[in-house]
Amino acid sequence: MSLIHLEGLSKVYRVGDQEIRALDEVNLRIEEGEFIAIIGSSGSGKSTLMHLLGCLDTPTAGRMEICGKDLAKASNDELARVRNREIGFVFQAFNLLPKLDVVSNIALPLIYAGVPSHERLARARKAAADVGLGERLSNRPPQLSGGQCQRVAIARALVNNPRILFGDEPTGNLDSATGRMILETFDALHASGKTIVLVTHDPAIAARSRRVIEIRDGRITREYAP
Amino acid sequence: MNPLVAISIGLREIAAHKFRTCLSMLGIILGVSSLIATMALTRGIEEGTRVFMQQLGGLELVSIANKEPSSRKYEFANLSPGRTLRDAEAIRRSASFISHVSPEINLNTAVATEGGGNPERRVVQGVYPDHFVIGMQEAAAGRFLTPLDIERGSRCAVVGDTVAKNLWPGIPPELIVGKTILIDNRPFEVVGVLALYEMEEQARARRAGKKSTRGFDGFRKKNERVLVPFTTMFHELRSGAFPLDSLETMKLDTLNVRVGDLDYFHPALDQVRAVLDITHRGVDDFDLETRQDWFDRMESSVRATRLSGGLISAISLVVGGIGIMNIMLASISERVREIGIRLAVGARQRDIFWQILIESILVSLLGGLLGILASLGLIEILKTIAPDQNVPVLTPDAILLAVGFAIAAGLLSGLYPSAKASGIDPITALRYE
Repeated sequence: MSLIHLEGLSKVYRVGDQEIRALDEVNLRIEEGEFIAIIGSSGSGKSTLMHLLGCLDTPTAGRMEICGKDLAKASNDELARVRNREIGFVFQAFNLLPKLDVVSNIALPLIYAGVPSHERLARARKAAADVGLGERLSNRPPQLSGGQCQRVAIARALVNNPRILFGDEPTGNLDSATGRMILETFDALHASGKTIVLVTHDPAIAARSRRVIEIRDGRITREYAP
Repeated sequence: MNPLVAISIGLREIAAHKFRTCLSMLGIILGVSSLIATMALTRGIEEGTRVFMQQLGGLELVSIANKEPSSRKYEFANLSPGRTLRDAEAIRRSASFISHVSPEINLNTAVATEGGGNPERRVVQGVYPDHFVIGMQEAAAGRFLTPLDIERGSRCAVVGDTVAKNLWPGIPPELIVGKTILIDNRPFEVVGVLALYEMEEQARARRAGKKSTRGFDGFRKKNERVLVPFTTMFHELRSGAFPLDSLETMKLDTLNVRVGDLDYFHPALDQVRAVLDITHRGVDDFDLETRQDWFDRMESSVRATRLSGGLISAISLVVGGIGIMNIMLASISERVREIGIRLAVGARQRDIFWQILIESILVSLLGGLLGILASLGLIEILKTIAPDQNVPVLTPDAILLAVGFAIAAGLLSGLYPSAKASGIDPITALRYE
C-alpha cells in the first residue's frame, strides 16, 4: 500500500464570485522511502498541494490517504495528530519560535505528543546531534545563522520520528553553499529510509530527487526521473 | 497537552511582558483588594457591635420600660402600681423562660472616701445578685453582692473601675477591697471592684500609652457604677427621702430580665407580658425593649455597606477582566505566527485554546495575589482611620472569595481571546508577517 495516495483531489477557493481551482483532480501515489520533488512556477498549485499533504488544509473534493488513513474529511484533531506524529515540516522561512532556545524549539512537537519533560529534552538533544547541531543548544534562533536555523527546523521535523518529511523551498532563504549542505542532509535522511517530499521552483534542486512531478494550473502535467 | 506545560508557557509569556501584564492586572488588583477590605471592614463592624452588645448583656437582655398607657386605658392608669418588686417576684415565680430578674433603684448622691476625700456625685444603684449575671459583670477584685447581703441589708458596695480610680487614684483593685466608702455620708465597705470595660479601640490606645479622646464611650455608665444591696439601698438611703414608700410599693427605676434560652425568646416575652398584665391590673404602662431591633438595624447597615463595597469591587473586577481580555487579544495578534507554528507541529485547536485561557487565568490570579497584598496594606490604613471600635477583621473566606472572583474574571475574559486564537487557520498564520 502506498504511503500517500491522492485520487481526484481538488481544492477550490472562492474569491467573491470567482472560483479558483488551485488543484484540479490530482492523482498521485507516493511510496514509502521515495524522494520526490514537486516543481512548478508560482501560482501553479504546488503550495496548495503541499498544504494538503501536510494536513494543514483540507481538500474540497477527492480522496487523500496518508499512512493508510483517509484524511479528506478528517476532523481538526485527527489532522493535528497526523501533523504531529507522521509528518515533519521544513519551511522556507524556518518558522522557529524566536523566544525559545534551540532545544525547546526542537522539542516543541513532543509537547503536543504528550512526552514527559525529561524525555523531551533527551530526544531533542539527540535530534540536534543527528543533524549536526551538537553545540549552541541554548542559543536562540535570532543568534544563529540561516543554515543553523534550518538545521534546527529539520531536527524539529524529525524529533517525533515521522515517516514523511516535507520541505517547502527549504533552501529558498539560504545562500547556495549552505543550501547545498541542507540538501545533503535531506539526501542523508533519504538514504536512512525517510520518505521525502520537496516543493521547489528550482529545477536544479529538483534534480537531486529520484522522481519529479511538475504541476501547472493545478494539474500534474509531467512526471519524470531526473 | 499537559496543563503544567501550558502554565509554564503562560508564565514565560507574562515574564516577557512584565509591564504590560502589570497594567492589565490593575483592575483585578483594585477589585480584589477592595473586595477583601470591604469584607474585613464589615466583619469588623459586626464583630465590634457583637462584642459591645455582649458586654452590655447580649440579646438575652430584655428591659421592662415605662410607657404611657394607651388612650383606651388611660382612665385606669392609676390602678397600676407601676414597676415594683412585686413584678420582679411574679416574673421570677411564673415566667419559666426567664432565668434572671434584676430590679434596680437608683439614687443620685455623693460618694467619697473615708474622711470625705475625693467627693463626687454618682448614681448609686440598689441591685439584686442577678444584676451581675444579666449585666455580664466581671470582678477585678473581691466579690459580687450575695443573697445574704440582700437579706441582711448589709452595708457593702461594689464599685466600677472609674469610681475606684477616682476615689483611690493609683491603688490597685485588690487593695481597694476592704476600704470604706462614704455614700451619702454613710460608711459602706467596698467588697468588690468591677473590671474595666472599654472598647477595642480604647484598649489599643491605652496599650499604646495614648489617651483616646475620640468618640462615644458606650461603657462609661458601666464603669461609673456604685452598686449596693437593694434592701440596704431602700432602708438606708431611700426610705428617708420617700417615707410613704414600702419595699413592695416603691417604683423601680430599672427592671431587666434575662431570657434563659434564646430559642424560646418570644414565648419568654409572652410570659413576661402575661405576668405584668396581671400585676399592672391590665394597664399597658410597660414596654418590653429587646436588643433585637438594634441587632436588625446593625445587620441591615452592615449588609448595605457590604453591598456597596461589593458593587465597587465587582465593577473593578469587570473592568479588570476587560483589561485582561484586551491584553490577551493584543498578545494573540502579536503571536499569530507562533500559533501557526504550534499548529503546524501538531498542536490541536484545544491546545491553543487552553494555552491562551490558562495564560489569562494566570494573569488574573497573579493580579489577585497582588490584590491580596494590596488589601493587607489597605486594611492597615483602615485600622488607623476606622472611626469606631470596629477594627477590620481579615478572614480566610474573604481571601478565598476574592481569589475565586479574580479567577472567574480571568476565565470569563479569557474565553473570547482563546476561542479566537484557536480558530486561527494554520496556513494564514504561517504566512503572517
